[in-house]
Amino acid sequence: MPMYGDLGNKLVQHAKRTQNLAHLPPYQTELVRGVTREVRDLDKDVASLLEPFQGSFDPSADQATACTLLVNHLSMRRNKRCLLAYHRTRTDKLAELVWSGSDVLDLAGHQAGGANGAPAADAGASSSLSPQEEDYFRQYGDLLAAYKGQWTDIDLTGSLEPPRDLFIDVRVLKDAGEIQTEYGAINLTKNSQFYVRQGDVERLIAQGYLQKLG
Amino acid sequence: MSYYDIDSILTDAEKIPCTFQIDIPDLGYLDNTPTQSLKAGTRVNLPLWLAEMLAIANTGDAEGKSFVTFDLPPALGNDVVQALKADPRAVPLRDQSAHFYGLGTHMMELSEEKELAAVLRKTFVTRASEVALHARKVGGVGHRGKGAAEEGSNLGVGGAGEEFLRGLDEWERKLFRKAHDGAKSGKEWMEGIKKN
Repeated sequence: MPMYGDLGNKLVQHAKRTQNLAHLPPYQTELVRGVTREVRDLDKDVASLLEPFQGSFDPSADQATACTLLVNHLSMRRNKRCLLAYHRTRTDKLAELVWSGSDVLDLAGHQAGGANGAPAADAGASSSLSPQEEDYFRQYGDLLAAYKGQWTDIDLTGSLEPPRDLFIDVRVLKDAGEIQTEYGAINLTKNSQFYVRQGDVERLIAQGYLQKLG
Repeated sequence: MSYYDIDSILTDAEKIPCTFQIDIPDLGYLDNTPTQSLKAGTRVNLPLWLAEMLAIANTGDAEGKSFVTFDLPPALGNDVVQALKADPRAVPLRDQSAHFYGLGTHMMELSEEKELAAVLRKTFVTRASEVALHARKVGGVGHRGKGAAEEGSNLGVGGAGEEFLRGLDEWERKLFRKAHDGAKSGKEWMEGIKKN
């Protein structure tokens, strides 16, 4: 028998699975909507239960109603906790993705094309983020960039692995244009190989433009 | 156990048997009969998040009785306790409850169960050393046990211990994963040193 809180539980099970994944699974729009609808229904129930009392409800005089109210209240509180925990799990993951430099919005970018057609179905297929999450991701990225900007000679998101060699061989997988290094400019065209300072190209490797050799 | 802790939320969804102490017209749905009123004395399995507060809250009458009384869930019942007393390692806790210890801790917050507390403590200590033993067998064969299929976990299950490891509850699983990852990184680090 479906009960209040069951939908919320499903949402938290999604969150549990998300914790063990490297990527972010699709946002559960329907479930979230279901849970919030449940809260609204419960709130309506509470209002109509209390209505005849005109603000002077005495719990000890009407225990059955008091108990019903308590159950409704607890169900709403439970749903709130499930909703918050689900979203928090995802925002934590998003923050992690921003720090690791992955470009989630690259994926989301394709969504723009389907926006005028059938948005709901299209958006679900191409982006696993809700619009609010995309905003969060973008703004968190901006914040991080501003924070990092305070230190010019240290890269806060750089690799924590101490390098074996300062210089490495890389192969260019995608055209990445010209980059500036201490030793002058290098033009990164597809399929060319370079011997460069690791610190200069770390970001490009992380973004998949370059491949480290050897 | 933070407010946002996923495992703590899932533990709160575990159900325990409750008995209602008063008639409540609007709560029939809890007993699968939405059209009828819920009679005093009806036994219903309620999730902890609901049962806990209903058991603590006071109905407000003179005797100070609460809305529901509760019993220990079957997962912590006499059969299980006896089996744990005999050999903690032989009981697949997961079959009882995926959040076995969480459930136990909750129940002990609600009622005094001295014997249960002692049994659980001994159970954990005995099983933890067994968990540690299995976790140290890193890099062995059979790295993808059947446990891996569930929840995408990568338990390093190898042969004989598989049965035991499948019976771990969530908390023990976390412990296993930590111990396993720790041993593995330690080993990798040692190998990295030798190369240089």
